[in-house]
This record gives sequence, C-alpha cells and structure tokens, in this order.
Amino acid sequence: MIKMEKVTKVFKGDVVALRDVTIDIGKGEFVFLVGPSGSGKSTFIRLLNREDVPEHGRIFVAGRDIGGLSGWRVPYLRRNIGYVFQDYKLLQKKTVAENVAFALEVIGKGPQVINRQVPAILELVGLSRKMDRFPHELSGGEQQRVSIARAFVNRPLILLADEPTGNLDPNTSVGIMRLLERINEIGTTVVMATHDSSIVDSMRQRVVELDRGMVVRDQARGVYE
Amino acid sequence: MFSFRYALRETGQNLWRNILLAVATVVTVGVSLAMFGGFMLFQVAVDSATARWQDGVEFIVWMNADTGTDEDAGVRNQLDESPGVQHWEYVDRQTSYEEFQEFFEDTPEVLDIFTAEGVPPYFRVVPVDPDPDVVEELGSQFKGKPGVRTVTFAGDVIRDVQNLSNRAGRVLFIGSIVLLAASTLLILNTLAVAISNRRTEIEIMRLVGATKWFIRIPFMLESLVQGLLGALVAMISNALLRNYVIDQFSDADGLQLLAGFKVDDAAMLQVNLLVVAVAVGVAVVGSVLAVAMHLNE
Repeated sequence: MIKMEKVTKVFKGDVVALRDVTIDIGKGEFVFLVGPSGSGKSTFIRLLNREDVPEHGRIFVAGRDIGGLSGWRVPYLRRNIGYVFQDYKLLQKKTVAENVAFALEVIGKGPQVINRQVPAILELVGLSRKMDRFPHELSGGEQQRVSIARAFVNRPLILLADEPTGNLDPNTSVGIMRLLERINEIGTTVVMATHDSSIVDSMRQRVVELDRGMVVRDQARGVYE
Repeated sequence: MFSFRYALRETGQNLWRNILLAVATVVTVGVSLAMFGGFMLFQVAVDSATARWQDGVEFIVWMNADTGTDEDAGVRNQLDESPGVQHWEYVDRQTSYEEFQEFFEDTPEVLDIFTAEGVPPYFRVVPVDPDPDVVEELGSQFKGKPGVRTVTFAGDVIRDVQNLSNRAGRVLFIGSIVLLAASTLLILNTLAVAISNRRTEIEIMRLVGATKWFIRIPFMLESLVQGLLGALVAMISNALLRNYVIDQFSDADGLQLLAGFKVDDAAMLQVNLLVVAVAVGVAVVGSVLAVAMHLNE
C-alpha cells in the first residue's frame, strides 16, 4: 500500500528531516512511527500526503508514484488518505455532523451521500447522540473522535494520524486507540506517529523507529523502546 | 463535481463574516465606478451638444431648405477651390433631418412644426488655419452666395465647452483610474482577510482532497459580488446624474448649445454596460491577485 525507496527530505538550511528511508507498508497494516522530537515522524507523514516532496527517492501509494503526480491530481490522492491531527482542527462554528459532512461536501459529494454516510460514521465513533453539538460542548476525546470520523467518512484506504492522543489523558487515549484499531480491522492501513509508549507497548503492532531522519528499527509486533 | 449551492453559501457566509470590510469595499468600488460613469456620461453629453463641431469643424454653411442641385454645386466648387479649406463634408437634407429629430427628440412641439422638406442641408468645413479671424474671413466669403441661407461659426463658446469638457474629463478619468486601482487593492485585502479567517477550514479542505478551484471559487465569487454591488451603486449614481444634472442643462431656456447636452437611452445603456464590465474586471484582477498571493499551495 505504501512504499518508500531511498527517500531523503532536506529543508532549508541543510536540515535533513529524512535520510535514505526505505520502507514497505502492506494493505491493512497498523504501523507506529516512534522516535524523539525532530526525528522525522511528521515529515514522513507529510510526504505520504504530498504536502511535501522529497529531494531524492520515490514514494508509492496504492501502487502509484506520487512524486510524479501533477498538482491537479494531488486532491484525488488525498481523497484516499484520511488525516487525523493532534489538535483535532475542528471548525468551531459547525456542529459535529456539519464538521464530518464538510469533508464530503468539499469533494463534491451530494446530499444523498452525505445524509447516508455521516450518521453511519458517527455511529461508528459513538457520537450519534451528539451530532448536533458544537466542538466546544465536547470533551477532548470526543473532539478527537469527530476528527477521526471526518478523516474516515470517505472510507480512505490509508489513515494517517499525527500524535492523535497527544492532547488526551491515558483513559481517553485508550478509547481513541480502540477506535483506530477498529478502523484498521475494516481493512484500512493506519500509520500513526506517537510518543505514547504505553499505547505502543499495549497494542504490539509494527513499530518503525526514526532517529535523525533514519529508520533505526523496524519491528513487527514491537514495543516503544 | 462542483456544488453551486456550496459556493453560494460559502460566498454569503464570507461576506457576512466581514460585513464592514465588504461594505467599505462596495462603497469604494461604487464611488470609483460612479466617477468613471460620470466621466463617460459627461463625454457623451458634450459630444451630443457639440456633435456638429467635432473634428476641427470651424464653420457651417447652411443652405436654403428648398435649395437646388446647381446651387449646391456652386458651393461645392468654391469649397474645393478655396486654398483656406482643408476639407469639408456635405450633410444632405435627409441626414440633416435625422440629426434634427435626434437633437429635439425631447421637444415634440418643435418636431411637429418641421418636416424633412423644411430642414436645410449644410456643409461642415474644416479650415487649414483655425485662427478665429482667418475662419471669420473664410466663412464670410460664402454669405450671400446663391442658395446659402447663413454661415455659423464654432465660436468661443463651443471651443470653451469642448476645452472644459476635455479638462474636466481628464480629471474625472484620472481620478476614477486611481480609485479603481484602490478598489482593486481593497478587494485584494478583503479577500486576504477572508482567507486568513478561514485558514483552518482551507487546510482541512486541502487535506481531505478539495481541488484548488473548489477552494478558490467562493472567494472569487465574493469579490465578484462586491464588484457588481459597486456597479449597482454606480448605475444608481449614473441615473441620478442623468436625470437631475445633465437633463437640467438641456432644459435651460435660452441656451441653444445646451439643448443638445443630453444622454439618450442607448448611450446610457452603453455606459452602464461598460461600468459593469469594469466592475467585473476590477473584481477579477483583485481576486486573482489575492488567490495567487494567499491561496497558492
């Protein structure tokens, strides 16, 4: 599903964010990206979403080399990739249902699709009863559930999550991880950057550790350290 | 697939969120377009009032209404042979009558008195030397010739009106161009604020796969709405200018020159269409610049 071949990303000032990274992630895998701050986790995720392009190497998503993708095709790539933020990035003036519907609306889906898919995804994340609430009326965990619902409502092949539990307490984090696990079980490939060792240790999924832009460990059913 | 309902809703919300800035933009665009429209109307009115005296015509040889071909030919020959005449133009009886009808279209009581047979043909003459004394002497040579009714001269009043209109027109034109440039910048700034207010929304739109144009169109529509509302303000101003200023001139008793100082419906429509076209141009330039500067991924 995701393949990186000798990928190097250098930012201005010769800061090497990723160095010669080669990795292969299969369909339906759950992968934790771990490593200290500045190790290249976020850059890894941004490259998969074509928010950035590498200086060297090639990146394949669903068999397509996304480095050579022309600008107008990037949005269509992103429709196959859900994105979950650490700070949720919900629209404060829209309700829960409107926040989720927004993701469908802006890719041109009609009211029929929206009316069918939004309640279904809110059911999946356990927020059916709060679909008319505004983000400020929800707890942090609930807001992150809305964010996940928005990322997954279009049923993407891949879900990228950048520190999704970074702002949550341990109990709430467990709930969010159960949700991501459920989404993964449906067949979605999940790539999650995290600093949360307890979650990584408890789930025993594949762990890719980055350090100064290099893959220093790639372990099936791994632990944080 | 693009959703017009979505675009219209977002455009409306954008305008409402920045309502004060939007009003300021509409007023600025409206004032600048009103100046531009005023300049155009003023030019149309002056051209209408001095139509016979355009392009350097300094005197007119009016023939008798019942003049014959031989008499016309006599004046033609004299104009051709005169070294002081640069060129001349003959306006036949039918064309003269049409001009007369246009000139007095608002005063049917005058139109009722005359028929085509009662309106004289005439010669519009451009002299080599526009000096008033030379023109006076040259024109006077035609007085009393067979078939000639009278000779009229452009005179100082006509030239003063034309000069004044040229100067006033230049001031209005330059002023409107400066204000239109300011309007373009204001539209750009209004959109920059709207884009800044919706930065999170735009980021989410990009990440979930909205196309560039899907993101851009509501902002561009917003500036188009502002431009068109500005054009509406200008069109109202144009109508007021025509009905309460220009038409007042033409109603002034005893000022024959100002009788032609008017703007007909066709010219009004043309000016209004031009105002709308300029408004759309300003909106498009402002929004394209804003999108290029603030929404270029």
